[in-house]
Amino acid sequence: MSRAGHILPELPVAQSTEYNGHTVKRFHTLIDALNAAPGEQPFVTSWVDQDDNEEVSFAEFRHRARVQAKLLRAHDVDSEDRVVILMPQGIAAMTTFVGAMMLGAVPTILAYPNFKIEPSKYRAGLAGVSANLAAKAVVIDQQFPDDLLGYVALPNTSRLLRAGDPTQPDGSGPLPDLPNRSDSLAFIQHSAGTTGLQKGVALTHAAVLTHIAHLEQALHIDAVTDRIYSWLPLYHDMGLIACFMLPLVCHVPVVIQSPLDWVMYPETMLQVISKYKCTLSWMPNFAFQFAPRRIPASRWKDYDLSFVRAFVNCSEPVRATSLREFQNAFASIGLRPNALHSSYAMAENVFAVTQSDLRSADGPPCIWADGPRFRSEHLVASVAEGTPGAIVFVSSGQLLPRHEVRIVSGTGESLPHGFVGEILVRSDCLFQGYYNRPDLTAEALVDGWYHTGDLGFQWEGELYVVGRKKDLIIVGGENLYPQDIEEIAAGHPHIHDGRVVALGVYNPELGTQDIVVVAEVEREERLCDAPEIECEIRNRVVASLGVAVRAIYLKPPKWIVKSTAGKPARSSTREKLFRDHPELAVGSEGDQFA
Amino acid sequence: MTPEAQQMCEHIAQVIRKPSLTIDENTPLVSSGLIDSMALVDVLVKLEDITHMRIPPGKLQPKDMDTIALMLATARRVGRPRK
Repeated sequence: MSRAGHILPELPVAQSTEYNGHTVKRFHTLIDALNAAPGEQPFVTSWVDQDDNEEVSFAEFRHRARVQAKLLRAHDVDSEDRVVILMPQGIAAMTTFVGAMMLGAVPTILAYPNFKIEPSKYRAGLAGVSANLAAKAVVIDQQFPDDLLGYVALPNTSRLLRAGDPTQPDGSGPLPDLPNRSDSLAFIQHSAGTTGLQKGVALTHAAVLTHIAHLEQALHIDAVTDRIYSWLPLYHDMGLIACFMLPLVCHVPVVIQSPLDWVMYPETMLQVISKYKCTLSWMPNFAFQFAPRRIPASRWKDYDLSFVRAFVNCSEPVRATSLREFQNAFASIGLRPNALHSSYAMAENVFAVTQSDLRSADGPPCIWADGPRFRSEHLVASVAEGTPGAIVFVSSGQLLPRHEVRIVSGTGESLPHGFVGEILVRSDCLFQGYYNRPDLTAEALVDGWYHTGDLGFQWEGELYVVGRKKDLIIVGGENLYPQDIEEIAAGHPHIHDGRVVALGVYNPELGTQDIVVVAEVEREERLCDAPEIECEIRNRVVASLGVAVRAIYLKPPKWIVKSTAGKPARSSTREKLFRDHPELAVGSEGDQFA
Repeated sequence: MTPEAQQMCEHIAQVIRKPSLTIDENTPLVSSGLIDSMALVDVLVKLEDITHMRIPPGKLQPKDMDTIALMLATARRVGRPRK
């Protein structure tokens, strides 16, 4: 059953083995890996502020996980049962997750309700996931507010449990026989995105351990000197794999914060990294702009980022401007010129497919490509840096060991080096399927290749990711990436930064797509100047990309529909625009990219 | 209206950027869609500044932030004096 088993031989618990020139420990299961950790070694530090933080060692973590395992067992949770964890970011959620795995049960962490999440959206998402997983238990924390219990939609067969008190003494003593095997399911992580809520990526212990062995090598992990910093949610692969499973298996300490605390007080990121001398951190692209813009420059000098080996930008695409902004801001407080890195990652492959070379002197390479040729011929023709009309791409890094990608055309043919197409991934740690969704699995996994839906190209041994296939706008055979148009429109001083959506709308008369832009003005009064603003945006798009925008819709602030992550939601914004402007929908049913 | 509520009203009017709209202590803000989730973070930071409290965001739910009156009540309920 385990793909990994065919390639990496099964090895006894904690045996050291030669692996691509490195000596790494191999374990059967994640629990074996945890049990092998030195007890006194610090594991998780949960940081709220100077007065409110807690550090647990590996021994204490194991004890607390056993307490949770026993509580779950007392409620008849058994091997292979699904356990949904609805707890705030923190040690209790992590020990409950591991406690479930100790029983051979299959845990999954879902987002905890918070003041930023719209209740109706949250309820719908939770109901869908719980039903699909047919979970035996849903575990909430001790503080889960009673008035919120109504938001937890449970199928009749599920039990609602409150996580046990971690300080209770009965964490010692035997647990039932551990039925875990390398090829048993370890946990389910949910693939990101609003429509991804139903996509539970089921992963075996072998897949996760194999993946972490690759990461350990690519990142040159050292349990003695490394410490990870994370504000990433545990219900996302970046938070769960890079910042929880990797430290658990490699016995590396990790300092975690809640995403809400980080977004409210981004300065705490600098504070924590400086205090704990953290060396590794993963962040999405927007954080590389958010941090320098939101942390007052006058405060930077109090901190020290010189211990950081890598801030890994895990977004697709990675933006050169965002990396530069972060680098320019924090170079003065010790950020090394080669500390910014990139990775292309997805829940379906456990986590990373690529990682930039941590030993390179200047971070991930960039390539400048001829803009018109890129759009019309869908290929990269390298030009000198800064050439007018050129587009810059940042590499997402090199493939991890035993990973392959293919770049394919719309008709599925493999494309040569330098051509842009859909990225297909195959590896020794790829998922087996979406839990309980053979229909979605069949669409995504074809002949062992995972169809990512992302567009990219390969160049000199590096993978570059340029955008999502479904968002691509095709105008007369020219490929246009909505992000590029949005960046140009958002550059107008009266347009709200980050509140622009560019869409392709099928034009039946021309038989191709037209570009439609919807943008929020900075202030409602600016709508009086709409004709001038529209004209300016059109001119800028034509000057940069050589294509004309069919229509620009300027809207008051807050008009564009945002995702729960706070980013403009393209498909919902499209629906809203079509509702308000039915003339747009005429003939657009022919739109294959809608 | 207390001075704190007055300050919150002024701040939220700036966030909303709709000069035509008058906001008072009891105007629904979240449930009416007037402020979105990203703006709520700014509103919460402002609420902390105005009340001199540290308000743990993890303890809040959308209904706690729906009106200025609720926000101030929430600050009193879960806030801790800030150093």
